[in-house]
Amino acid sequence: MSEGATRRGGPFRERLPEIVVGLAVIALPFALPPIGGTLDLAQRILDWGLFGLGFDILFGFTGLLAFGQAAFFGAGGFTAAYLLTAPYTENAVLALAAGTVVGAVLGLIIGLLSLRRSGIYFAMLTLAFGEMAYFLEISPLAKWTGGENGIAGVPTPTLGFGLFTLNLETPDDVYWLLAVLFFLGFWLARRIIRSPLGLVLRAIRDNETRASAVGHDVQKYKLTAFVIAAAYAGLAGGLLGLLQGYMPPDAFYLDTSGQLVVQTVIGGAGTLVGPAIGAAVWLYLYTALQQVADIGSLWKMFLGAIFVVLVTVLRGGIGGGFVLLWRRVRGARKEGSLDAPMTAPVGQAPATTMPVDRRRARRDGPVVLSATELTKRYSGLLAVDRVSFELMDGEIRAVIGPNGAGKSTFFNMLAGVVPPTSGDVHFKGDRLTGLGVAVVCQRGLAKSFQINQLFGTLSVRENVLIAALARHLGKFRLSLLRNVLRISDLARLVDETLAAVQLSDRAGTPVSNLAYGEKRRLEIGLALATRPQVLLLDEPMAGMSPNERTDTVRLLKRIAEGISIVIVEHDMDVIFELADRITVLYNGGKIAEGTPEQIQADPHVRAAYLGSPVAHEPARG
Amino acid sequence: MAARRDKTVTRRRVLKGAAALGALPFIRPASSFAADETIGNFPAGVQGNTAFVGVTSPLTGAYSADGEDLLKGYQLAIEHLNNGGGLVGKIPTLTGKGVLGKKIEYKYADTQTQPNPAVQAQTGFITQNKAIMFTGCVSSAEAIALEKLAQRYKVINMVGCSGANETTGKDCQRYAFRSQPSAYMAAKALTPVLGKELGKNLKSVYLVPDYAYGHSVEQSTGEFTANQLGWKSLGSQVCPLGTTDYSSYLLNIANSGADVFVNVAFGADAVASCKQAKQFGVLDKMKMIVPNISAFQAKELGAEIMQGVYGTLDFWWTLAEQNEAAKIFVDAFDAKFKYKPSWPAHIAYTQMMCWADAVERAKSYNPHLVIKALEEGHKLQLPLGEVWYRAEDHQQVRAVPVVVGKKPGEMRNPDDYFRIVGLTPGPDVVPPDFLGCKLPSV
Amino acid sequence: MNWPLLFAQVFNGLTLGALLVLVAMGLTIIFGALGVVNFAHGSFYALGAYAGVVAYKYSGSFLLAMVSGAVVLLVVGVIIERGLIRLYYNRPKEDQILVTFGVAIVVVEAIRAHFGGLAQHLPVPSWGEGAVNLGLTYYPTYRIEVLGIVACALVALYLVLFRTKIGLIVRAGIEDPLIVNILGINVTRTFLTVFGLGTMAAGFAGVINGPIVTVTPDMGADVLVQSFVVIVIGGVGSFWGALVGGLIAGEILSLTAMVQPAYSQVMLFAAMAVVLILRPQGLFGVQGRQ
Repeated sequence: MSEGATRRGGPFRERLPEIVVGLAVIALPFALPPIGGTLDLAQRILDWGLFGLGFDILFGFTGLLAFGQAAFFGAGGFTAAYLLTAPYTENAVLALAAGTVVGAVLGLIIGLLSLRRSGIYFAMLTLAFGEMAYFLEISPLAKWTGGENGIAGVPTPTLGFGLFTLNLETPDDVYWLLAVLFFLGFWLARRIIRSPLGLVLRAIRDNETRASAVGHDVQKYKLTAFVIAAAYAGLAGGLLGLLQGYMPPDAFYLDTSGQLVVQTVIGGAGTLVGPAIGAAVWLYLYTALQQVADIGSLWKMFLGAIFVVLVTVLRGGIGGGFVLLWRRVRGARKEGSLDAPMTAPVGQAPATTMPVDRRRARRDGPVVLSATELTKRYSGLLAVDRVSFELMDGEIRAVIGPNGAGKSTFFNMLAGVVPPTSGDVHFKGDRLTGLGVAVVCQRGLAKSFQINQLFGTLSVRENVLIAALARHLGKFRLSLLRNVLRISDLARLVDETLAAVQLSDRAGTPVSNLAYGEKRRLEIGLALATRPQVLLLDEPMAGMSPNERTDTVRLLKRIAEGISIVIVEHDMDVIFELADRITVLYNGGKIAEGTPEQIQADPHVRAAYLGSPVAHEPARG
Repeated sequence: MAARRDKTVTRRRVLKGAAALGALPFIRPASSFAADETIGNFPAGVQGNTAFVGVTSPLTGAYSADGEDLLKGYQLAIEHLNNGGGLVGKIPTLTGKGVLGKKIEYKYADTQTQPNPAVQAQTGFITQNKAIMFTGCVSSAEAIALEKLAQRYKVINMVGCSGANETTGKDCQRYAFRSQPSAYMAAKALTPVLGKELGKNLKSVYLVPDYAYGHSVEQSTGEFTANQLGWKSLGSQVCPLGTTDYSSYLLNIANSGADVFVNVAFGADAVASCKQAKQFGVLDKMKMIVPNISAFQAKELGAEIMQGVYGTLDFWWTLAEQNEAAKIFVDAFDAKFKYKPSWPAHIAYTQMMCWADAVERAKSYNPHLVIKALEEGHKLQLPLGEVWYRAEDHQQVRAVPVVVGKKPGEMRNPDDYFRIVGLTPGPDVVPPDFLGCKLPSV
Repeated sequence: MNWPLLFAQVFNGLTLGALLVLVAMGLTIIFGALGVVNFAHGSFYALGAYAGVVAYKYSGSFLLAMVSGAVVLLVVGVIIERGLIRLYYNRPKEDQILVTFGVAIVVVEAIRAHFGGLAQHLPVPSWGEGAVNLGLTYYPTYRIEVLGIVACALVALYLVLFRTKIGLIVRAGIEDPLIVNILGINVTRTFLTVFGLGTMAAGFAGVINGPIVTVTPDMGADVLVQSFVVIVIGGVGSFWGALVGGLIAGEILSLTAMVQPAYSQVMLFAAMAVVLILRPQGLFGVQGRQ
């Protein structure tokens, strides 16, 4: 139900979550009364569940903890209630739609402001806006919202669908309305999660830096998730007013935002149904505890204590517990057996047709990447000093230098991670300076990291898919409904990339289970999957054993066909084997540049590494 | 509702598994009872030997003290109704063996001082427990929401604590009955006493929490004191509900030059604002009046602060010295709970008695008949003297106690905070124009 | 322009702010050093007030009440840190937020269970009674004294943080917890100290605030949210940030109440939002710290 995007099986298995949810929703009103629950409780569980579907997309799948969802819940709810009681319409469908739209629009505004920050500051911003919404509802807007009284007398729903209307008069009618909407909401949420957009959201949760580095416009995706959550909240708010005939000011309370988070964590974030499960547990305990004889006001204390225990003991909540159990029950499956490539298998042995020894000294090819007088100053520290650099098409260039030479900073400026203080980067004639890492990647310049930046909770296939997706979608595309696994072009690209880095048989493995060398290969694979023209490799050999190094060198030689590579490395053997030319940096400046033989002989280089009184001057290319 | 039904062409179940729906054990307007019509939970809720009453009260949150008092009032009343004792002995229609022979059962839920849990809990009591009556609240927000619930489900609601004019004014409902004096009534009762004790043509300044009830009280008090006493208002300090620090407002009030400080704040707000008023020297410069004194305000503040303060409240226990019914109630409550009841308990207890009496007179639990019985204006002798409900707005016509805080030296025992200086008769204070109430049909 | 009134309100903002400063100080060192967003902070504030009430009832000494508020919360803070919070240092931020949220509920309801919901008496001490003529307005003596008490407490805290070894470690931990760990310093003792100091500040603030506001189980709810605003404005983990932020917050509340009370809380949150958007590290915070 959670990371099921990679599970392929028959249509039944794929639809299993929807079927289970559908059955659960039908069974709920029967299951509750024997244990002391009511239909009203069932209605509220579904309403909170619907509220939580959107929130889980934001929190569980995108990793953004927001504390102000009550603002959208209340805004949508009061819009719908006001329209129905003023009355401007008798049609609950219109009212609910209006509420959803209002929620979404408010989400857009607040999201634009709040998403400028991340982490706990983002959470605090959403809390601030949530509180502002509450205070606005209570007093300045009291004429429309009823202030602390709320809006009472919301009529029972009449659903108008143009040609005919449906009159829902009894509570069980209203339950079925909620059931249908929850089911549809779940179906839609699931589609969103399995869509390209959904995959990018999960990438952002796992590793926002990398998601951006492979070319996704992370801010826009986050904003989309935020608006989706706000829309679901607005709808759920409208339904609250309808199901109880009363729209309360409590909808705007901080408590409401808090309760949503509590329920989601209890039920398990990242499961979509977690919030509904959490709501069931929390609401049931809430009513059941109060029924304990003579408990009086102590019920809340016990509820708090139970909650503390639950949070401490259950990591990942109840839903997470189930998922763990499910995985353990199914046993250790053979890795990759579920993830056969979707196209004809590409040969996995190193292609014998590729030249093993590849040394080209292309110095007169077209310049594909150039840096002009790149400088980076960090208030007092000159990290990179006017380094110029030209990379020919098809060349493998190594950048070396002792620690502190400025290699990483230089690299990061090329890749767009860090904007230069002065100087420019040009790629195939286009100016790339200051455009940011996502745009740079989209143009065809991809970077792999010295420390693995992978998408930790996802499988190998999904990791590569995220990178491949960036070129497919562009920086940002609102692709919410396609199944990301069914896009054949992408599938082909993924399979090819996996073959190139020799991870085809590990495609279904979660990244956390990979050996270090495999992770390094995947790291390179991610950059490859964006189909770059220039590949920037930051210490690809870092942490590798000698065997792993040999394999990686072979890999790099293979992929160097048709791609230009810039590689920062310390291992001289590797460099001399791979590089066409070498650029040497020292103290932020370039001191030498030439073929490996030239560099080996250069006294400035030796002095830089070993230390000597020879004065250093920037070398000419 | 009837008009809308005509537009419905068909009723379609959209979800798979629709066949199972027939078995759902929910409220359905069943038509299998020959003798009586089915209204709300009648007669389904009283088929057996018991009748269920749903009770909500804040046991946590800002009004928890009032809520505990309220709940105890209900508990005492139900005990007396089922087993005899207290005022059951004084009301001729009540037997002490249940109501119409059926034992009263009840459950209570904590509203946490928020309206939504109240609505949620009472909906549960109505749909699940088939409550034949529901009651209990400590704010007008809750009261108004619960009244609408009563009208929607056609179950009688005896309103708990609610002082807003709207409760029996523009938000009045046919299925709901309120006993607490409205802001209008309190102001009207208070004004003559103020004229006598404080004087005419004085300057007043108001501290008003920014919600409907606060503005209600401000308006009513202002109008009556202006019209009858020639008092001039120098303005209102409007503060957000739930303010804990009133220093900014009290500074303005202290420097206003008024003779009288009217403190409209309620509950914890009242306690904080009065306490701080003393610290800012406001009480040394001017007289304070509290048009609606909160249930435990005196106990929480102490006589030092409350001495010489004029105000009204729904009930004060020293009425036991002048009224036999009050004495019975106070003694019974004190014996069981070991403290003198405050007015939420009084409202709870007397609302239960009035409802039970109406059911007995109607000889049926049928809500229509009970409503008629309540609307008849039948007079009962209760702790405040003679009381009855008005048919036009369902406001109980009852006397309003006007009190003044005693000096610490005057107190005869630790609970003796107030001297009753007036007991304005009900008919003199009820609003003649029903404050805009237009009761819907049953 | 009513100058006396304006002066009074500005002065009032200082005293309002002073109380917030103390509470926020506790919150900021916990958040800064441990990274824990302590949603139970308001409940500790309330607990301090109740500890003071009990101490006062049995001894009649306000001084003892103040000491109790601080000491009881120091003990409670240590117990909770050892017993619960330390299980959460390696768990995601949301879990920390939630467990402190749960602790807050338990503490508040435990207080209500034992003491009931009625407001408790904590009277102004005899040396604080009456009002002082400030020339332009009369002002309660006790509130002015509170300014003094808070100042003393802040000086004490400053000395601990900036002049002692343990304080240095705490501040280093705020700057970079990893390094502190690597340097082999006893992190456990440091965390304990931080949490204890933080809750003690809250408890002490609760007891000295007791005579001014009402002592009820729920008294900490508003204070909690307001102190979050303060530390965001001032900068998380910064001593001066909490100080200046608290005073600014007090002035915002006081001055808006003068002009348009309905918006006083909204203005506070708006200020927080503006700071977060324009200068997320707050006035005194360190750039780049998350």
